[in-house]
Amino acid sequence: MPKLTIDGEELEVPSGTTILQAALGRGQEIPHYCYHPGLSVAGNCRMCLVEVEKAPKLVIACSVPVTDGMVVNTDNERVKEAQAAVQEFLLINHPLDCPICDQAGECRLQDYAFSHSTGKSRFVEEKLKLNKAVDIGHHVTLDQERCIQCSRCIRFCDEVTKTGELAFFERGNQAQIGIHPGKRLNNPYSGNVVDICPVGALTLKEFRFETRIWYLENTPSVCAGCARGCNVMVSVGNKQKEMTSPGQFDDRIKRLVPRVNHAVNGHWMCDEGRLSYQRLDAAPRLLSAQAPQGALIEWEQAIVTGAAQIKQAAQSGRAAAILSPRLTCETMFAWKDLFDELGGVRFGIERIASGEDDDLLLRADKGANSTGASWILGERADAEAIVDAAISGKIDTLIMVADPLDPEDTRRLPENLLLKVKNVIYVGPFLDQTAESASLLIPAAAWAAEDGTMVNFEGRVQLVRRCHMPRGEGRPGWRVVEDLREAAGLESRGWTSSADVLESLAKNVTPFGGITEERVGLLGATGVAAAAAGS
Amino acid sequence: MEKILTRNIHRESSQSIEVYESNGGYQALRKALGSLSPDQVTEQVKKSGLRGRGGAGFPTGLKWSFMPKEKSKPHYLLVNADESEPGTFKDRLLMEEDPHLVIEGSMLSAYAMHADACYIYIRGEFVHGTRQMQKAIAEAYQKGYAGKNILGSSWNCELVLHVGAGAYICGEETALMSSLEGNRGWPRVKPPFPAQFGVWGCPTTINNVETLACVPFIIERGAEWFAAIGNDEKNSGPKLYCLSGHVKRPGVYEAAMGLPLLDLINEFGGGMLHDDRPLKACIPGGSSVPVLTAAECDVNLDFDSLAKVGSALGSAGIMVMDSSTCMVKALLRIAHFYAHESCGQCTPCRQGCGWLEDILDRIEHGKGRAEDIDLLKSIADNIEGNTICALGEAAAWPVQSFVKRFRPEFENHVTEGRCVVAAPA
Repeated sequence: MPKLTIDGEELEVPSGTTILQAALGRGQEIPHYCYHPGLSVAGNCRMCLVEVEKAPKLVIACSVPVTDGMVVNTDNERVKEAQAAVQEFLLINHPLDCPICDQAGECRLQDYAFSHSTGKSRFVEEKLKLNKAVDIGHHVTLDQERCIQCSRCIRFCDEVTKTGELAFFERGNQAQIGIHPGKRLNNPYSGNVVDICPVGALTLKEFRFETRIWYLENTPSVCAGCARGCNVMVSVGNKQKEMTSPGQFDDRIKRLVPRVNHAVNGHWMCDEGRLSYQRLDAAPRLLSAQAPQGALIEWEQAIVTGAAQIKQAAQSGRAAAILSPRLTCETMFAWKDLFDELGGVRFGIERIASGEDDDLLLRADKGANSTGASWILGERADAEAIVDAAISGKIDTLIMVADPLDPEDTRRLPENLLLKVKNVIYVGPFLDQTAESASLLIPAAAWAAEDGTMVNFEGRVQLVRRCHMPRGEGRPGWRVVEDLREAAGLESRGWTSSADVLESLAKNVTPFGGITEERVGLLGATGVAAAAAGS
Repeated sequence: MEKILTRNIHRESSQSIEVYESNGGYQALRKALGSLSPDQVTEQVKKSGLRGRGGAGFPTGLKWSFMPKEKSKPHYLLVNADESEPGTFKDRLLMEEDPHLVIEGSMLSAYAMHADACYIYIRGEFVHGTRQMQKAIAEAYQKGYAGKNILGSSWNCELVLHVGAGAYICGEETALMSSLEGNRGWPRVKPPFPAQFGVWGCPTTINNVETLACVPFIIERGAEWFAAIGNDEKNSGPKLYCLSGHVKRPGVYEAAMGLPLLDLINEFGGGMLHDDRPLKACIPGGSSVPVLTAAECDVNLDFDSLAKVGSALGSAGIMVMDSSTCMVKALLRIAHFYAHESCGQCTPCRQGCGWLEDILDRIEHGKGRAEDIDLLKSIADNIEGNTICALGEAAAWPVQSFVKRFRPEFENHVTEGRCVVAAPA
């Protein structure tokens, strides 16, 4: 293992580590643009120039591997001059778009201009003019003038999606990013180029001009779009500051960006997942408990009525429930716990699938917690079979525990089902078609409005977090069940938080053995029993 | 000195293989394949002191020794025939008039490299040279000097001519490799070096046309003979000098390495173009190397002598400027070249070259400011040493040297708002 001295400190690193990786590995920042840990080394921005003793010229830290005894200086005068020089070169033709550029506040060019440049412009010539606001794909807009030619986006399309839509055209200072003739940037992962672009050259159409990033509160969570469970950062417009216009802090999700998790999604996420939060607006929200025709009822009354309907039907084996595969483990466990104690409840998990698994991240199974469902609910009936049983008059009370992300993914019930089933209870966040065909509506939190865990297709337990308040009277699914439990005269489980429910899960459901919120942390964990069983 | 490299060029049908062979051509290749191992060929070239004639002057035998000793992948020899350095026109002369010399030198060197193929990357604008080389390559294949079982030996080596498409940067060895592979002619970050990971990821050596043209003579007449030509053994061999600019007889002249610059101008070149316009400046090695004032021109044209006076032999493109030359205008033209040819890959060159041209354009057209002159130097200093390839230095050195040696002329442009070099009557 070669030993490196960097800024006077000795460090031992695995053979093959570059100077930049060695520095980043110990939390030291060497400024850089074109390097990205998920892509090949390009070495073209020249911002990471450092001094290596005995080398005649400065070298780029991103591509030079550490050799034993190497002595590196990253912050002496010579290096600082080179960094200021590169920064100056990058700024001379860069348009003064900061006031209207989405990247402001998370822009490397801004950051390094502040930390590594002289702060003065010596350029009095006319800046280059290139194309701005070019539509290059479903989700991405290109501004050629802002581009600093780092080639990250090209490398992403070449190496990760292997679709090769982007390239450099022209030469010298006319070199510009463009799209190959006849192609569009429409691969299923196109949004990632916006994340990796260090400046505002590539912007996401869905986020363009939406808000300033310093008004966002970011919460780490997990995408509910499919069974992969990509780790994400959910940005909510939440930070009220002076001079903020009301639209900025409306507590709505403004965007999702991927979080790095090498066990799940690497550095990336798919476009479908990235924009999944938009589905939360596909239907109006259910804000308070309701009876049919929008008649509002008190929460207490709804719970008492619902509990009675469930208990009665269960007693004669004529109760049934269809649960979404996107519910948290905690919510699923609470329902299962209730059904087990009551007995006589038929339950099934909805199946949401489309497309095929691809070579990268996408899974055909869109049920983010399908695995959690099979661990907790075990063998269960088909949702289809339950509806058939309802139509043939075998069910008195049908509970629809709705999809917390997408109202379209909650099964539409046949018209006039209420002629065959006495009670249809909808528990969910939306006032959608399913809800409107129910006899009792109870609001529950949508995705990102409650804490809980989900298990991805590889058996990894991950934490979904509450990123903003549930709407109206909505509350976590397991809390709804607790209330129903009490109203049905059963003993309360005494859960006060999702962590409490997880504790019960860990005790009662084998694959969750050893799982605690702490162990799951930011990157997830596999259960002790699950790991041992290799499941 | 007798004509060595240019011994054939004035002969009738010099390009044909019959004429080439009748003058002893391909004897060196026969000798090597018959009685020398590849390593022995490399040893001879090392002993001869041959240094690269493409611009860097790197010892050729040393470069050859970087190839792996154990062969696990195909080896390649690439001939850099992308001659694009302003002021340089010696390689084209050889390719147009004595293509078989280039071929024999290439094949000999390919043999030393254990090469499986030799690609000659020729500048796209050399239409005539391409025709001559293609004809000659076909002739060479016919006579068994290239292809399978060369001269009855067990060695196979294909010889392929690849035509470039108009980029100076493709004369940079790693950009040449990228271009040959079918990609944009962008230089690559080194390490890895071509001898370890070159074209198609295989061990590769790249040499200039004139460098390889010396090899048959080294093999035929011996390393000692070659090393004895010139003033010292570190700067040896016959050399082609490209003389252009304000002289009576511009052209390619062959002489021993170390020819005095003034002799080249006065004896070979017939002296200054106009008797009443004396020598003012000279760029001795292609536009990339620092310019010399007239006083500095009393110097020998070899690698070390020119390095001592702060310039370089480079590609031996000697550009002579007389007293009618406006140095600002000359530098502007040079800066325009580098801005146009910059590949755009790395920040300092991509942005800096265009910036330099813009400033020089203002100064030349009377819109210069006093601070522009120091700004030019600062920009050039910021490019130098910070780029992926030597085009950065090539763009920086002219600016630094012109401003340093002819500063008053730049200052005059600024204060007077126009050129004050006396216009000829």
